[in-house]
Amino acid sequence: MDPAKCTGCGTCLDVCPVRYEVQLPDADARCRAAYAQATDELVVTGIINSHRDRRGNLLPILLDVNRHFNWLPRPALEQISDELKIPLAEILRVASFYNAFSLVPRGKHIINVCLGTGCFVKGSPRLLEALERELGIKHGGTTADMLFTLEVVRCIGCCALAPAMRVGDDTYGRLTPGMIPKILKSYAESSAGATAEGEAAG
Amino acid sequence: MKIRSLEGLEDIKKKGLALTYPDKMKVMVGMATCGISAGADKVYDALAARIAELGLDVVLEKTGCIGFCQREPLVDVVYPKKVRLSYQAMTPEKAVALVDALSRNEVYPENLLCRIDQEDILVEGEVRPYANPHPPRLDVDTPRYEDVPFFGKQVKIALRNCGFIHPERIEEYIGRGGYRALHRVLANMTPEEVIAEVKSSGLRGRGGAGFPTGQKWDFARKNDSDEKFVICNADEGDPGAFMDRGILEGDPHAVIEGMAIGAYAIGAREGFIYCRAEYPLAIHRLKIALKQAEDFGLLGDRIFGTNFSFKLEIREGAGAFVCGEETSLIASIEGKVGEPRPRPPFPAQSGLWGKPTIINNVKTWSHIAPIIMRGAAWYSGFGTDKAPGTTVFALVGKVNNTGLVEIPLGMTLREMIYDIGGGIAGGREFKAVQTGGPSGGCIPAEFLDTPVDYESLGALGSIMGSGGMIVMDERDCMVNVAKYFIEFTQDESCGKCTPCREGTQRLGEMLEAITAGKGAESDIDKLVKMSELIKKTSLCGLGQTAPNPVLSTIRYFRDEYLAHVLEHKCPAKVCKPLITFHILEDACTGCQLCRLKCPAEAVLGEKKEPHRIIQEKCIKCGTCYEGCKFDAIVVE
Repeated sequence: MDPAKCTGCGTCLDVCPVRYEVQLPDADARCRAAYAQATDELVVTGIINSHRDRRGNLLPILLDVNRHFNWLPRPALEQISDELKIPLAEILRVASFYNAFSLVPRGKHIINVCLGTGCFVKGSPRLLEALERELGIKHGGTTADMLFTLEVVRCIGCCALAPAMRVGDDTYGRLTPGMIPKILKSYAESSAGATAEGEAAG
Repeated sequence: MKIRSLEGLEDIKKKGLALTYPDKMKVMVGMATCGISAGADKVYDALAARIAELGLDVVLEKTGCIGFCQREPLVDVVYPKKVRLSYQAMTPEKAVALVDALSRNEVYPENLLCRIDQEDILVEGEVRPYANPHPPRLDVDTPRYEDVPFFGKQVKIALRNCGFIHPERIEEYIGRGGYRALHRVLANMTPEEVIAEVKSSGLRGRGGAGFPTGQKWDFARKNDSDEKFVICNADEGDPGAFMDRGILEGDPHAVIEGMAIGAYAIGAREGFIYCRAEYPLAIHRLKIALKQAEDFGLLGDRIFGTNFSFKLEIREGAGAFVCGEETSLIASIEGKVGEPRPRPPFPAQSGLWGKPTIINNVKTWSHIAPIIMRGAAWYSGFGTDKAPGTTVFALVGKVNNTGLVEIPLGMTLREMIYDIGGGIAGGREFKAVQTGGPSGGCIPAEFLDTPVDYESLGALGSIMGSGGMIVMDERDCMVNVAKYFIEFTQDESCGKCTPCREGTQRLGEMLEAITAGKGAESDIDKLVKMSELIKKTSLCGLGQTAPNPVLSTIRYFRDEYLAHVLEHKCPAKVCKPLITFHILEDACTGCQLCRLKCPAEAVLGEKKEPHRIIQEKCIKCGTCYEGCKFDAIVVE
């Protein structure tokens, strides 16, 4: 295979009679990107092992890794590729297809503004504008202090209490743009508090 | 402890009934996602703290959503052998007052929604009165459950247990007749008999397309493959719909039992529930339910001591709307990119890992156990000839009563919106109702008397869909709504086939131009032409139905399109490039509220002097308009 020409479309995988076997580079020859922390590799190993014997386990593994790091770091993808014997191009194709995955680091609190129809007709676009103004980022972006990532989601199923948004695991309903600053402040403060406590304890 | 016989099931049932209907006072809080986002968790904590503080002998429980989301947080108080009272819009403060009233043996008089004198134990065809003697003597001034219009017109089959049991306890599900149907099927019925029963019930897929369920099962049954699968499609991607979430969070075992029956009917030993990751609570409760069903031997090897074994696994989606399409969903479970493939072969012939596979929606699965227990004739007694039974809708948008409603098919849109939904909020004019999500269309006022069923909605250019029903009023711009849906499908198109990938892009550009006042009259005909083409040539259901919102809005609201392109006006005053905000000098009291709230600092004016808006600075966010207490701000 000529790496310069490959687009990662995966078509060869579907038609290859010896599927996956011929396409892997020599495991020893390949140099993986380093993890930010040495313990990260063990975490990923643990995640892979917990799904190892299931068919179609790529998605569950990626979801767990994405949840642990809040995004999909390159070394983790390479490790999954090596252990599951799935080409990295195919993993990247899957990772870039689904909305849940991020290939860039995301903030500590992920804000999902619901743009489902129920929320849309009840004014969630204005909610999104208020968040963008307040955070100084566009949706899809992350604040410079890595505290918030602003994303849109097509329906969190909270339509009867529209407009709604989710911050991390907390769901908020019946919102107005005026309520945004206070909600953001509560997360910024709890994070600042946690850091201060951590420093005091350290 | 594994249940091996009917007697074993009866024992658990007794335990379950004792949990659902204890001899002492019981307080229940509706804790589905909707309830929690309205503050039910804080109400629950307040109740728990106060009960502990006073040392009351009261059972405090969580339950699913009874459907009346508008009135959340909902709290129910069960007075043993007397009545169950429903309280609406509770707050932590009122929760404390409620517990105080209970401690004095009084009925808390505020925030009452209704009283429930009896419950239907649907699968067993029984009515269980709360009161003894029945009917009860009661001096509480509140309507009966049946007399509340929101509840009275509903027939709850799929939602039979939601809001009545603790969704994290299999005993309570069994207490209300759960897993009896599975036992009946395994002990007394052949797979062919099961399929015949489902066929004659007339049940059609509640995911939207309405394919006859029994017939689908029959295809898979007749295939003599060594391995077959059943899948539950819980990838409820339609924006504005949350029926499946409601069922999974309120009654997960209803789906599991239905799937086990389906697996027995077609000869599958393995199944998957594909649930979208945006529903963390549903996944959490499903996991608990699966574990419990395995512990009780209702999933796993040799269920009820028969030769039937069935393994069930949850797979989480990763946020792709197209994965609600069955071939994409299969690809996603296989760990691949969720792209559709052409049919035939249909999944019933060649599905997951190339094996015969049955995919049904959450609602379809939860109808199965009642059909087995009560019989096909009972089920087809509801609904219409062509579409028997009931279906669940998420009634949202600009109606007074938003929530989950289950209706017999054939009810008119008017009954749903005005009787159950309580009419349009804020006394405004009804404009359109949108069904079927991005695949559906907008239905205008002149068709409000159309019965809700697959064919009637189809004839209007919409579809039944999985059950989202979004009501829109005069303040919604239909061109903007069409643009919204096209932007949605444009984002979610997987990109595999050209008509859908490029076509939705072009439609989006044209609609963007029209809403910016830059469209031409000929654009409307271009939109129609291109929409027809996309419908005819796309690979899967997503593309084939994506132009429906555009076509239906042009069909019924052409004059709104014309106003945008000819007069450069948005009649609903929504499209930002076509509107301006002004302050009426006579009405403005100079209260300064808008000046202080304006995020763009576009309002000028001294205290007690009329203000004005600097148009160059105005970002048209509407904050001043919403906030003004004197109606001094107008949109033109």
